[in-house]
Amino acid sequence: MTGAEFRGVDIDLLADYIGGALTGTPDEPVVATLIADDPAWRAAYESLSGGMAAVATELGRFEPEPMPAEVAARLEAALTTPAPRLTLVPDSGDGAPPVREEKTTRRERGRRLRWVTPIAIAAGAVAFVGFGLDYLSGRDGNSADKSASSAAGEAQARRPDSGQAPAIAGAEPKSDSGQDSAQSQSATPQLLSSGTDYTRATLAQAPTQALSAPAPLATASKFGRLSSTDTLRQCLDMIALANGAGPITAESVDYARFEGKPAIVVRFTADNGAWAWASGPSCGTSSGGADTLAKVPVR
Amino acid sequence: MDPQGGASDADLLRAHLDGDAQAFAVLVRRHRDRLWAVALRTIGDREEAADAVQDALLSAHRNAARFRGDSAVTTWLHRIVVNACLDRIRRRQAHPTVPLPDGNRTDDRPSAPEPAAPAPDHDAALMVRQALAALPAEQRAAIVLVDVQGYPVAEAAEILGVAEGTIKSRCARGRARMALTLGGLRGDAGDPPSGPAHAPGGNQQAAQTVPSGPAAEQPLPASGDGRDER
Repeated sequence: MTGAEFRGVDIDLLADYIGGALTGTPDEPVVATLIADDPAWRAAYESLSGGMAAVATELGRFEPEPMPAEVAARLEAALTTPAPRLTLVPDSGDGAPPVREEKTTRRERGRRLRWVTPIAIAAGAVAFVGFGLDYLSGRDGNSADKSASSAAGEAQARRPDSGQAPAIAGAEPKSDSGQDSAQSQSATPQLLSSGTDYTRATLAQAPTQALSAPAPLATASKFGRLSSTDTLRQCLDMIALANGAGPITAESVDYARFEGKPAIVVRFTADNGAWAWASGPSCGTSSGGADTLAKVPVR
Repeated sequence: MDPQGGASDADLLRAHLDGDAQAFAVLVRRHRDRLWAVALRTIGDREEAADAVQDALLSAHRNAARFRGDSAVTTWLHRIVVNACLDRIRRRQAHPTVPLPDGNRTDDRPSAPEPAAPAPDHDAALMVRQALAALPAEQRAAIVLVDVQGYPVAEAAEILGVAEGTIKSRCARGRARMALTLGGLRGDAGDPPSGPAHAPGGNQQAAQTVPSGPAAEQPLPASGDGRDER
């Protein structure tokens, strides 16, 4: 039975009839008449009804498929680890070099200084909002401020104090009381718009393009939502949750592509190691979660 | 021992909304195997299924307040997971990828039939899985819910957000395609590969299945919402 022998028979219609999808519709008596009067339809009916019933029986015999332990553990960790809170501070967008905030009331409350920067990604036509990232709480108030940001044209992020890679630091949300946290870090991820089309094989490779590298407008437009600081923050939140290993320290955020699709590629470290994580444009939405396209450990 | 083991799904969801940090995890623990099976068999790739389930459940975790109680909590969870799977499949269709060296990957098909659990008739089971994997995503999702997992048609319709008649149609057309495929592979008429006789439903958690013949037909809603694929 391949269907070829049922010439002149509408297989889908016949399947609907056999499966009960035509009951009570005008098509039901029509098909019944065809089966009664047309030998081809009758033969198809007899053959297909038996085959469909057998298929249903076979499908019902599939063995149970429990969630693998490692998937369950990762899920459990993700659901029981509080989401790290990120604060992204958009720059004014004037292209000025990063400006270090002066001491503010916020800082007096123990929050780290933040850096802001714009990044042009397409010959001045499209620009991603530069940002600094900071967790609202859990900061080490005594730690030196770090910055890593870039204006268009800058090839490297500034790391004035420690030489550490730019990073996002994650910590469990706390109150604004300014309590210090030993695991808190402060930094800003390197922002890229490399336009690289990553694959699973190349995802772990370090980004090769500088901050100001232009990206095609078509690609940039795909990130309209994620160019917003709020949604990018939500995306990073969801990646941290999906990773399931607590706070993440992001080194770079690359507005790029993965296997031909627009993707934001985040390189970060967490308790479970260093990762390169590709997420789609739905990352951070209510339905998309982290919109994970791929993730690979970085050795 | 889970201290919340006696709580209903709705109780756990309420507790989660009230700030109980463990309630949602308990809820997920309760249903994760079925959610996983549905995701894996719909999307056909373990890694993608894991990502889809995790993304979906994290979204549910964050957006639990949006659950209106119109359906059972488990139906809501299934809906989110299945939609996440179908979204991923659609994205694959929208952005076809370069075939992997093994050439298995197609746009809306699983990259390969999901690895089969050991079965008495492995070849037959593998053929059925391959035929299932070759179906269009919507038909596959309906068949996974109804024929594989054993959900009633009405619940599958709620999960997929379509009319019951649509589920019947998708299941029927999917079964027909599979029967033709399997019959063609075997060179016989109407008899897909069949393993040794044993009780069906090893993976089914609900008793009702879609009727496969006119004698078992159920009344449909008003004409027009029953079939979507003609």
